Amino acid sequence: MNLALRDVRRHLARFIGTAAGLGLLLSVVIGMQGIYAGMVDDATILTRAMRADLWLVQRDTRGPFAEGSRLDPSVEARAAAVPGVRTARPYTYQLIQRERRGAVLRIALVGLGWPDDPGRSLPLVRGRHLHQSHGEMIVDASLGLGIGESLTLAGEPYRVVGLTKNALTSGGESVAFVSVADAELIAFDQPAEAAMLERERVVERLRRTDLGRGQPALEDLATSPRWRAPALASPPLAAVLVQADPHRLAEVREVMRSWGDVSVYAQGEEEALLLGGVVQRARMQIGLFTVILTLTAAVIVMMVMYNLTLEKTHDLAVLKLMGAPGPRLLGLVLQQAWLLGALGYAVAYGMGAVVFPMFPRRVLLTDTITLVAPLATMAIVTLASALGLTHVMRIDPSRALEA
Amino acid sequence: MEDTYAVRAVDLSKTYGTGQAEVKALDHVSLTIARGTVAALLGPSGSGKSTLIKALGFVSPADTGEVFFGGRLVVKDGVPLADLASLRRRHLGFVFQKANLTSFLTARENVEIACEFGGKSDGARRARELLEYLDVAGREHSYPEMLSGGEQQRVAIARALANEPSLILADEPTAALDSVRSRNVMELFRRVAHDRGAAVLVVTHDHRALEVFDVIYEMEDGRLRPH
Ligand SMILES: Nc1ncnc2c1ncn2[C@@H]1O[C@H](COP(=O)(O)OP(=O)(O)OP(=O)(O)O)[C@@H](O)[C@H]1O
Ligand SMILES: [Mg+2]
Repeated sequence: MNLALRDVRRHLARFIGTAAGLGLLLSVVIGMQGIYAGMVDDATILTRAMRADLWLVQRDTRGPFAEGSRLDPSVEARAAAVPGVRTARPYTYQLIQRERRGAVLRIALVGLGWPDDPGRSLPLVRGRHLHQSHGEMIVDASLGLGIGESLTLAGEPYRVVGLTKNALTSGGESVAFVSVADAELIAFDQPAEAAMLERERVVERLRRTDLGRGQPALEDLATSPRWRAPALASPPLAAVLVQADPHRLAEVREVMRSWGDVSVYAQGEEEALLLGGVVQRARMQIGLFTVILTLTAAVIVMMVMYNLTLEKTHDLAVLKLMGAPGPRLLGLVLQQAWLLGALGYAVAYGMGAVVFPMFPRRVLLTDTITLVAPLATMAIVTLASALGLTHVMRIDPSRALEA
Repeated sequence: MEDTYAVRAVDLSKTYGTGQAEVKALDHVSLTIARGTVAALLGPSGSGKSTLIKALGFVSPADTGEVFFGGRLVVKDGVPLADLASLRRRHLGFVFQKANLTSFLTARENVEIACEFGGKSDGARRARELLEYLDVAGREHSYPEMLSGGEQQRVAIARALANEPSLILADEPTAALDSVRSRNVMELFRRVAHDRGAAVLVVTHDHRALEVFDVIYEMEDGRLRPH
């Protein structure tokens, strides 16, 4: 006969109420962990999506995410010339803020190294990667723009061709991807007039030369947005992303480290920098909250289990007097604790499934969380029943004889 | 003679407290209860009746003296020489002043759990039979708090009988009952002793039902003497 279940059956409402309370508490703990995991994932999604072996950034900075980084555009060509380098592509990153239909959009604008990198490595949920070097963008769905809609940046329309999910910065801004040339245009937001006049002037000049007349293709080149009028200073890059032959990576890295104007980070290091700089404080805060909440849950379970045992003192004394084997009585307490833990976790799980998607920040329940949470819950309730167990062991069977 | 007694106590003494507060609850008490007999234990309040019951029931041993059970020395000078909990669950039955049923178990489960502790396999059937024997089968699914005092006491007796104990110890089992029911309970003990060969020791203040008993003891200031 299972004594634990018999006792629960007798006090069903109270037991379920306690389990529900514990469940709510657990759902907060799990939610905190999920928010933290979401934060880490958001923070690294940008670096991960770039699929670079090495990040070249401005010397002695931790850029481009943790702090600003400005690299001379010549670094791209210099990096591409290093033996063992497969591709070197420019990368820009900046935060911009625009108004659209009365709402403020905060956008982290990432420049992709067109034409090597049209965004194939991005986790697209709808649409496609960039097909043109100018006027197309891939945005995060959280911006609220649909495929085919366009956004005016730096006086020119940018059409949304692809949507990503959860491409957010550690600050929660949605990320938009354009070609690096477009990113630079937008960054400097040069008056369209100035850029157009400059291009026209060049075309005029070309047409007056034999070279220009003989090779009309040069005109197209001059009107391309990638072409930069000499009168307008060439803007710096945030980083150069390098892909190298795997077996020559160390060698490539050594060469680049000797350059005076760059710092070189491997993909993992770049992620670590990002996490260290931006997420570290959140990690501490959430870690502390988790510890406090876990302790609170443990103390509550402990008091509940102790009280449940305390009020059964007389019943337990009678059972002891009847010669109940010790493990049966300890099992009564332990099984109830486990049942409480299991029910509590089930409530937390159900709550999470309903409520977490409504959180403003992404709650990412990683495999580790979904595996550790139930185990930790069971460990906590087991430990928390210690007080109840010692009480059971101390009960004197002769108390049953007293009225 | 050796195998016909259920329990034998030799020279039990027990003292509570020290100095001014010292109480001699048992003072060189010796007693043998044969199987198949019902014995009454009389005596004024504080004379040591419950203390003797606890010593004979292996609940809290006396300071000095010996207790034999089924021909075997089980406790000597307060030191257990056997697994007392196991002895209790297999060979002893207790009935108390208040029924002391397990509150979260139904009447039948209260009897069934005792069968289970005693290692009886068909607990459910036995429990039903015992409740029928004691005329409370109709209330087998009720929780103790829904039973009357008399019904509770009969369930408690059924529980005490669950493992065909060789010794039943009852401490004022009829204190909460009216005189008719109280007499019924005493007669029940007599039936159990004579039908089933158990030794029964009943602490009672009720002098009206004494003819039911085979032997009557009386305690005063920790000393035991025949009535
Ligand atoms: N746990 C204890 N601590 C100290 N003194 C105790 C304890 N239990 C019993 N006594 C004392 O031992 C003496 C005998 O107690 P006991 O309970 O055996 O009496 P009793 O004959 O059962 O009395 P009653 O008829 O009132 O139940 C009493 O004086 C009592 O105060
Ligand atoms: Mg007493």
